[in-house]
Amino acid sequence: MSAASLQAGHALARASLDACVKCNICETQCPVMAVQPNFAGPKFVGPQAERFRQGESVDRTLDYCSSCGSCTLACPQGVKVAELNSQARAVMKAGHMPLRDRLISQTVLMGKVMSPIAPLANGALRVKALRVLIEAFFGVARDAPMPVAAGGSFERWFARRAKRRGGSPPPDADRSRLGPDERPDKPRDGCDAGEVGAAGEADCIGRLTPNARSRGKIVFFHGCAGNYFEVETSKRAVEVLEHLGYEVLVPRQGCCGLARQSNGIFDGATKNVLELCAALRSAGADLPIVSASGSCTGMLKHEAHEIMGVDTPELADVSARVKDVMEFLADLDAAGELPHKFQPIEATVPYHAPCQLKSQGMGLPALDVLALIPGLKVVESGRACCGIAGTYGLKKEKRAIAQAVGAPLFEMFRETGGDLGICDTETCRWQLRQGSGMRVEHPIFLVHQALGLGDA
Amino acid sequence: MTGVVVIGAGLSGLAAACALAKRGVPVRLVAEGLGGMALSQGTVDLWGHDPAPVARPLERIAAAPQGHPYRAIGAHNVRSGVELLLDLLGEGFLEGDIETNTLLPTALGALRPTALYPPSMAAGAPSDGARWALVGFDRVRDFYPRLAAGNLNRTQLPGGGFVHASAHMLDLPDHPLLGGADASAMTVARVFDQPGYAQMVARAIAPLVKGHDAVGLPAVLGATGRDAWATLTRELGKPVFEVSLPPPSLPGHRLGQALTSRARELGVRVALGARVTRFTAEAGRVIAVHAAAAGAPRPYRADEFVYCPGGFESGALTMDSRHGIVERLFGLPLTGLAPVDELITADYGARQKVFEVGVRVDDEMRPVDPAGEPVYANLRVAGSLLGGAIRWAEKSGEGLALGSAWAAVEAIGRSAA
Ligand SMILES: Cc1cc2nc3c(=O)[nH]c(=O)nc-3n(C[C@H](O)[C@H](O)[C@H](O)COP(=O)(O)OP(=O)(O)OC[C@H]3O[C@@H](n4cnc5c(N)ncnc54)[C@H](O)[C@@H]3O)c2cc1C
Ligand code: SF4
Ligand code: SF4
Ligand code: SF4
Repeated sequence: MSAASLQAGHALARASLDACVKCNICETQCPVMAVQPNFAGPKFVGPQAERFRQGESVDRTLDYCSSCGSCTLACPQGVKVAELNSQARAVMKAGHMPLRDRLISQTVLMGKVMSPIAPLANGALRVKALRVLIEAFFGVARDAPMPVAAGGSFERWFARRAKRRGGSPPPDADRSRLGPDERPDKPRDGCDAGEVGAAGEADCIGRLTPNARSRGKIVFFHGCAGNYFEVETSKRAVEVLEHLGYEVLVPRQGCCGLARQSNGIFDGATKNVLELCAALRSAGADLPIVSASGSCTGMLKHEAHEIMGVDTPELADVSARVKDVMEFLADLDAAGELPHKFQPIEATVPYHAPCQLKSQGMGLPALDVLALIPGLKVVESGRACCGIAGTYGLKKEKRAIAQAVGAPLFEMFRETGGDLGICDTETCRWQLRQGSGMRVEHPIFLVHQALGLGDA
Repeated sequence: MTGVVVIGAGLSGLAAACALAKRGVPVRLVAEGLGGMALSQGTVDLWGHDPAPVARPLERIAAAPQGHPYRAIGAHNVRSGVELLLDLLGEGFLEGDIETNTLLPTALGALRPTALYPPSMAAGAPSDGARWALVGFDRVRDFYPRLAAGNLNRTQLPGGGFVHASAHMLDLPDHPLLGGADASAMTVARVFDQPGYAQMVARAIAPLVKGHDAVGLPAVLGATGRDAWATLTRELGKPVFEVSLPPPSLPGHRLGQALTSRARELGVRVALGARVTRFTAEAGRVIAVHAAAAGAPRPYRADEFVYCPGGFESGALTMDSRHGIVERLFGLPLTGLAPVDELITADYGARQKVFEVGVRVDDEMRPVDPAGEPVYANLRVAGSLLGGAIRWAEKSGEGLALGSAWAAVEAIGRSAA
């Protein structure tokens, strides 16, 4: 763990500590405290305990905190409660990080291993005996939701499609820039076989030649879940952007490091996020960057800086340019640039805004955009958290808490919805799918359908 | 119309946002954090102390002196603002009489006047000779029945006479959600929401409260609903009342949650975690406010802005080390400024005039400069930022918040027409 970077992030959060007036408003919103009385709660483990910390925290109930950020969001005084908690936990776990926490935070590795053998991997994760073993050895709860690997990655789809459409995928130039676990294990279509692109172009896996390029270029950041697991979400986001007239660029990119960050592995996460920034910037200066991974976007926008203290001009540049795809569409609409040509969808759909998204301080752009679709009724859950909070709810000692936190939300989904629910981030969708038994997709599915690009 | 931006998620901000949404106006609510409702008693105070107890609040409001914010707001707007709140919350959330104050006991055993209160507090209205059993719970901090009963017993009622309160302690029955030695009011309240728990408590309380007319309990009877209070009342066969505690106050929290979900249902778009740090204005009108967000600040454009940021407690007003007081966002002109030794006195219990510092508004709720001219044509202020009143001394906080919110909404309606 890098002491210097932690201290920088820490100084930022610590500076907010004195603003705490002990009003307890954060306690009224903490979803973990509501179900786990042994957790001392945000005010206590946050600003209060922080005063007494010199190095490692003496208060071990801190580990119950899921880092959902509901406390920071609620605090009227601007105290960075969740950030303080994340930092203190990183210190607490430094040196004795369970192997499990290292493994489940390796999202790229997980995707790489699972995606070429998707049916097999998915099958294996569903086999109870195997899950029991995984739980025993690694501490991943046997009933925790597991990502379902898609048959082919998004990168592969995008590159193939670019080629089919006569785009000009540039050469797969500089592989050595990627870390070892980001190096693809087999050649990708498009890039490897591809024709030579313009000299000095970004290390792109492809470039599309849309029918109308009227709106110029845009960079798509897929995140690792969006590449290997939630591939349909990425595809639809790209199709919507192209439909609107953007030329979508997908530079070769690795992981944002969020899972490592939330597990307190700050060194690895910092490396990830800086490499990602370089990759996204390689596509072109000043281009908008759009992502359908709400949590990865949050990592780039503020968590890398506020929690880990990463303070490079490259990160600052990317964090000011990156937008969640629904935020991007809502902003287009606010600027009067989103055509209201939506086909009606007659449905009532429950919507859960993930804590990761809410903590970005942008409101709930999905609601703004979906409100433009005639006939569609979206009911917001009003719940703080689904329980999963990244990888928290995967861990066997936290699984019961995650389920208790999520239970009222699962019920709300079942009561409100037909067969479809919506939610902006990947792990929350996995948790909601499992908890509610419903299909749960990214809101872009509905936009995609309403634009006549296919069924949701 | 691009709609209205409301800044602040306290009582005044939520009320203004809901009222606008009900009129079909697109409204966006931008706030740094939750408002102060979980710090309040959960009652609706219109005007309680003058400093003597006020019996008829609306009459007192109609006679507010020059310089008091009620003067600009007007009693009719207070009445409409309270009616709005009742309508938003729906049947059975609050009761009482807007014309007449009711005295209700505090956790210290004082009697405080208020206009409206939750049904779970109603039986706490005192009468001469009433025999009350005040029961504290071992794990609940902040409610000490001996202290409360002692003070109540020596407080003469306005019509003469006394209540007779006795003090009791109960060890709360165990529950897996109750946790360790002492628990926060919120934790205990959630346990009261669990099926069967209120019955268990009722059985344990019953022997303590024999021979009493009513039972007073700390306000922890449920985090959301009124089921636990209703169950206790039924099982004990006598009136039960809640006594508000220091923050987090459950009655205030319930009110805040109910209003927040109402706003959501009405289609108010809420952005939390969004502190407004900057604004742009042109030709005497505010064009946009800019709120901090992850990544880059976000602009919010609108035709009208309602600024409900609270006062000193929420950081909307600050005092620097040279005792200079400023309104942080717009730098609005302030009234009530004076040398610091006049504003803050060493006598803790005295009227601290610093809390009268705030913004002065015209009848349209627009902040005005010393000459009485509006600062911006489309900026209106509601809630605790209004200067000229010490809310907790007067017990006027909710009336000012609701009245000014309503007055601002009406003014917006007039200017759009
Ligand atoms: C501890 C305490 C005790 C009180 N006791 C009493 C009492 O006994 N009786 C009584 O009548 N009154 C009392 N009051 C006053 C009463 O509670 C308030 O007047 C009432 O709640 C009105 O609140 P408000 O809407 O004006 O602001 P608040 O509830 O303070 O809400 C302010 C909102 O604005 C937001 N905000 C502030 N600045 C910004 C910004 N720049 N950008 C975005 N958002 C911003 C905050 O995050 C918050 O959401 C008390 C107040 C406090 C704090
Ligand atoms: S952290 Fe914020 S919400 Fe929590 S007690 Fe402190 S001031 Fe209140
Ligand atoms: S981050 Fe979430 S779980 Fe942790 S203390 Fe805050 S509200 Fe509770
Ligand atoms: S947040 Fe996204 S990019 Fe980051 S680890 Fe998770 S899936 Fe990967």
